[in-house]
Amino acid sequence: MNSFASRFIASSAENEIRQAKAMAEEEGLTDAMWGSDAGFGSLVTGHAFNVPAVPDPSAFLRLHTDDHADPNCKIKIQHGTTTLAFRYKGGVIVAVDSRATAGSYIASGTVKKVIEINPYLLGTMAGGAADCQYWETYLGIQCRLHELRNKERISVSAASKYLSNLVYSYKGMGLSMGTMICGWDKTGPAVFYVDSDGTRLKGDLFSVGSGSTFAYGVLDQGYSWDMSDEEAQELGRRSIYAAGHRDAFSGNTINLYHVQEDGWKFIGNYDVTKMHYEGPGPDVPGAPVGGYGYDVRTHGRFSVLPTAVPA
Amino acid sequence: MPNMSAIVHPQQRHFNPYAENGGTILAIAGADFTVIAGDTRQSEGYSIQTRYAPKVFRLTDRAVLAVNGFAADGNMFVKKVKQRLEWYKHAHAKDMPLRAIARLIQTMLYAQRFFPYYVYNILGGIEEDGSGAVYSFDPVGSYEREACRAAGAAQSLVQPFLDNQIYFKNQTAAPGRSHPSHLPLPDVLSIVVDSFTSATERHIEVGDGLEIYIVLAKGRSLQGVEGLHGLRELSTQEDGERVFVLQRDLKKD
Amino acid sequence: MSQIWKYVRVTPSGGRVRGVPARSSTTSISLPGTPDHLSSQSTLILRFVMSIMEHNGGSVVAMAGKNCVAIACDLRLGAGAQTIATNFEKIFPVTDRMYLGLAGLASDVVTLREKFRYLTNMFLIKESRPLEPSTFAHLVSSTLYERRFGPYFCEPVLAGLERTPSGSYKPYIVGTDLIGCLNFAKDFIVTGTASDKLFGVAEGLWEPDLEPEDLFETISQTLMNAVDRDAYSGWGAVVHVITPDKVITRTLKGRMD
Repeated sequence: MNSFASRFIASSAENEIRQAKAMAEEEGLTDAMWGSDAGFGSLVTGHAFNVPAVPDPSAFLRLHTDDHADPNCKIKIQHGTTTLAFRYKGGVIVAVDSRATAGSYIASGTVKKVIEINPYLLGTMAGGAADCQYWETYLGIQCRLHELRNKERISVSAASKYLSNLVYSYKGMGLSMGTMICGWDKTGPAVFYVDSDGTRLKGDLFSVGSGSTFAYGVLDQGYSWDMSDEEAQELGRRSIYAAGHRDAFSGNTINLYHVQEDGWKFIGNYDVTKMHYEGPGPDVPGAPVGGYGYDVRTHGRFSVLPTAVPA
Repeated sequence: MPNMSAIVHPQQRHFNPYAENGGTILAIAGADFTVIAGDTRQSEGYSIQTRYAPKVFRLTDRAVLAVNGFAADGNMFVKKVKQRLEWYKHAHAKDMPLRAIARLIQTMLYAQRFFPYYVYNILGGIEEDGSGAVYSFDPVGSYEREACRAAGAAQSLVQPFLDNQIYFKNQTAAPGRSHPSHLPLPDVLSIVVDSFTSATERHIEVGDGLEIYIVLAKGRSLQGVEGLHGLRELSTQEDGERVFVLQRDLKKD
Repeated sequence: MSQIWKYVRVTPSGGRVRGVPARSSTTSISLPGTPDHLSSQSTLILRFVMSIMEHNGGSVVAMAGKNCVAIACDLRLGAGAQTIATNFEKIFPVTDRMYLGLAGLASDVVTLREKFRYLTNMFLIKESRPLEPSTFAHLVSSTLYERRFGPYFCEPVLAGLERTPSGSYKPYIVGTDLIGCLNFAKDFIVTGTASDKLFGVAEGLWEPDLEPEDLFETISQTLMNAVDRDAYSGWGAVVHVITPDKVITRTLKGRMD
């Protein structure tokens, strides 16, 4: 629109329209606002985001949103998570918890931390909930456009690189996301770790979030390439349980997904406390009979020191 | 003549365009209705700026938005959402569906990712399938559909009470019976009023007045609350979804 | 937490403690080893205090009923986000009809528990008369105030039955902040990392003159639902209901996350 030639258009009417359009765009009033563009129309014009008029916008954002720098800051972006994904013979297992915390307050116990990008791609959510939700939805749009343009599905590698490049272009602006892009393409099952620093890693096994160390403990111990589907699902579930039990900022429920050649499948939603006391139910290969809980499994089988000291 | 001392000793001023104006909002979805409520006190620190500043707004006949946090941002945000809904109506000759409003709010909030609206939003209303729905948002636009949600100054006081009374958390049903998945409207209304009287008792930023919006699915009755004192209808059409508002006093101390 | 705020702000402008008044030797107010403990950055100290109060997590609630009182605590002991133990009781018997709940820094919970055990035994030996809740409450208060400028990071809650001149018992619950300001309530006392959540649920569920079994249900529901919204409390609970002739103690199965 602002091409060199258009500046020399003689017609005053056209000139006026051009000026009006330019003004409208500066105000953010584009055609996209009236139509669909899936609400992402504001990105079409190239100046999508409003930024405060201060010398260092990211310092401004950090001052008002980062609760690690200042626990008393007003805008609390939700943190705390355990997510994991691993590749094995039978596909990809994706398991996440469902807790969102703001300080010590558990803001939600029903968060969907697996983002269904399309029937073949899953993204996980750790860090800023809005950053993950928004950009992985946007990634879904771009993946569909790739399909329409190239008449074939986007590879997991390409999709994850699209996201990685995108968040890298905002580096230093304060985006916060640690995500695993999981799927199945021509190369077979694939997992990529992508974060807002710009890191992008291909791998077999990842866990992200405040409870990841607890999850890794169980995951590393139980992992092998040749697991059966049931064993793999049980490993994912058991790993998130471990994190939910030991990490204050993870828990509530487990969401379990399995990616196979024909796309992803939602396996189930499991209450962490029910897993502790009762377990996933009978006949689950690899699962203990009864609950996962240490005290539940060993109840009555060891001597316990009296806890309460009489005054 | 420039101020030399300022050049020699650079001073940092930080830009703080946000305030916290207290108050609490809450929404509960029923099978065929949704209740959205908020107190009307607006405060800054220990001072009450006004005893009547609405935080709950009718958007359409089937959508109501409650905003909490920084009042100036909240009012501006509601204004902009209403504007976008108006444009939608002119372009498509119908009201925007609730789930579309929810997505619209996400993109509008995320557009301000680097200069956020300091606003916690709760959207309540009736979905296209006639079910009651509540959507809750964080200030930068992450959202989720839920059955009940409290936000604002007293969210940590109200939400666990709601977990207990709406979701029956930590309660075991009598043998052979189960908890209802949705409560009837009169029960929901009394839980809402109890939540706010409790929050008023224990939180200084909550009180003065209570505004309860009720959104009813197409063709559904008020289930016996039509006789309630001070019930006002706000719907623009009689044959679609209907919106009502109910006002109650809260303690002013 | 508002009490802690006050504690920091009470220091003179600039935060420096000047001229601590001389006290008689029996009620000396000790200062912490570092003389600059309270200097300058009062907000830093505030954050320091708050993080200490949240470091191990845990909550306690007490409620009054009809001729009975109840006191309950969660069982978590954490180190920040990490859960270390799920069998850490925070309520201790003082007499047959009085229990003391201590929420806050776990090491101070243990220290204070032993200190109050010693003080209770010394009282009983010296005075040869029953220790009543109203007496013990002031013992708690003065013990905490002795450490006015280097407090125990604990907010105690006391629940008991007070003997009346007529020989019957009346419910007695009291809470204090970490430097011993007594809070006499007729209904309920809350403390710990879930205190705000406990306030909300208790205010909604509690009613006057509850019988022991109803009081048990009320305090249990209050505690369980409050700690389920608190990241630092939970992992099981213990409830004591104190009646004139017996104490009913129950362990609750709570959420384990």
